[in-house]
Amino acid sequence: MSRLMISLGSIYLVWKRYAYVYRKNMAFAAITTFVEPFLYLASFGFGLGSVIGTIDVGEIQVSYRAFVLAGIVGQTILFQSFFEAAYGSFVRMYYQKIFQAIAVTPVTIEEVLWGEIIWDSSRSSTSAVAVMLIGVAIGDFSITGVLCAIPICFIFGMIFASLGLLVSAKSQSIDSISYPQYLFIIPMFLFSGVFFPLTNLPSLIHKIIFILPLTSVLSVLRTLVLGFTFEWWAPIIIGGWGIILIPLARKAMIKRLVA
Amino acid sequence: MGKYERYWDVVGVLNMSSLSVIDLYKNYSRKNQSVLEAVRGISFDVKPGECFGLLGPNGAGKSTTMKCVTGFYHPSKGSIKVLGLDITLNLRDARMKLGVCHQDDTLDTDFAMLDQLLQFASFFRIDKKEALLRAERLLKRFDLFDRKKDLVESLSGGLRRRLQVARSLINNPELLVLDEPTTGLDPESRRSLWEILCEERKKGMAILLSTHYMDEAQRLCDRVAIIYKGKIVACDNPQKLISDVTHDKLIREEIRPGITIERPSNLEDVYLLLTGVSLAADLSEGV
Repeated sequence: MSRLMISLGSIYLVWKRYAYVYRKNMAFAAITTFVEPFLYLASFGFGLGSVIGTIDVGEIQVSYRAFVLAGIVGQTILFQSFFEAAYGSFVRMYYQKIFQAIAVTPVTIEEVLWGEIIWDSSRSSTSAVAVMLIGVAIGDFSITGVLCAIPICFIFGMIFASLGLLVSAKSQSIDSISYPQYLFIIPMFLFSGVFFPLTNLPSLIHKIIFILPLTSVLSVLRTLVLGFTFEWWAPIIIGGWGIILIPLARKAMIKRLVA
Repeated sequence: MGKYERYWDVVGVLNMSSLSVIDLYKNYSRKNQSVLEAVRGISFDVKPGECFGLLGPNGAGKSTTMKCVTGFYHPSKGSIKVLGLDITLNLRDARMKLGVCHQDDTLDTDFAMLDQLLQFASFFRIDKKEALLRAERLLKRFDLFDRKKDLVESLSGGLRRRLQVARSLINNPELLVLDEPTTGLDPESRRSLWEILCEERKKGMAILLSTHYMDEAQRLCDRVAIIYKGKIVACDNPQKLISDVTHDKLIREEIRPGITIERPSNLEDVYLLLTGVSLAADLSEGV
């Protein structure tokens, strides 16, 4: 199978299948796509933000609302990509057996998995764009920064979707997905800098958090939309995660499906 | 292709097989365990218009063989040619001519019946107009047309099975792989499916069929292979197999307490004898 060229047309056909289902269940899809980031935004951005006012991040002073809004963009990409890929793909693989059904047509299993990753990323980036547009509307984000961030959000989405796909491939049951969810994803969400700057953390914790993918994602996003200082290590770390996770996830899923 | 309308016209002229499986091996690596040899040196071929049955107990290697034929599993050793195309080297081209109905329910529950067929037609790059024609024709043939807008998840098991077989025909396949297609079907639907398969065979479609129903195999298959522990233990025309293995002896069996009958031996007796499972009644000697 590895000798086959991947066909972009076939990947698009798989993507179209997801888009069709999304459109068909638009009301439900809109709730799951947009409500969660808006709740975080309302609670932390506008609620807590109005209490805290401004914070200092290094030498830059920024409103807490703008700081946390950029964090919510990263959180949205993480959650929507990871959960859709982990739980959604497990259902599609194990219960619905959709991967198996498509992968005996001229669309190969590789293309099915690329379609899955790209769809999950498309969905999460759409939500992220919605949050960023709010940031532009309330004057917290620069429009140029947001335009630059859109394709980058898509790449981040692919990386977190691959993480979800890897978890799905390695999970024996749908309940097992809870382990990485509670032991890795939630702690990463809480401690990677969505809600507070990392500069005040103890050095050891700071070093651990430094290598987590969400930390780098947030650093890149804040550079783009808030004009924070560019941290050279961030694209390297997130790129490293991508280089490892994307092929690893596809390999693990193919091994799971194709014995 | 000139005067030859379909690929099987050409393979017929060249006396080629629709499916050729040569010395197929498939091993599974298991965590902390020895390698499982699911298929061990299987060879067979299926001619255009022929129905070839794979019979065997659960775990014998039938489904693994079928998954190798569809290119879903990569063979550990051996070669598989679908309509002359090596499945590992020409996967996409081979699959354009292949229809597959899985043993499991693999219908996409997010779709209505008609949309399900259109969706799958798109994977074969069939244009929308043609896909709609084919999908509606199939739904009519399988007596599903009146419910074409019903969601798959609202259908009974039998209807789902029929839809799944219909879906496997959306690309007008020249080789149809059916893994236990009539499981869960009522007798009427089963017969109706047999009729549809018979019509398709007249047009030259070859069928590779796996089933646990011996009457189905005896009725549909030109040849059957009995697989046991990953190997073919017998392969021939059903009547010839019955004759060779049971010597056309009559079978005596107690069908209800106190009621014993004698009946001609059938494919099930062959299957039970060759797979080492003891018969319900002894072959009645000398009758």
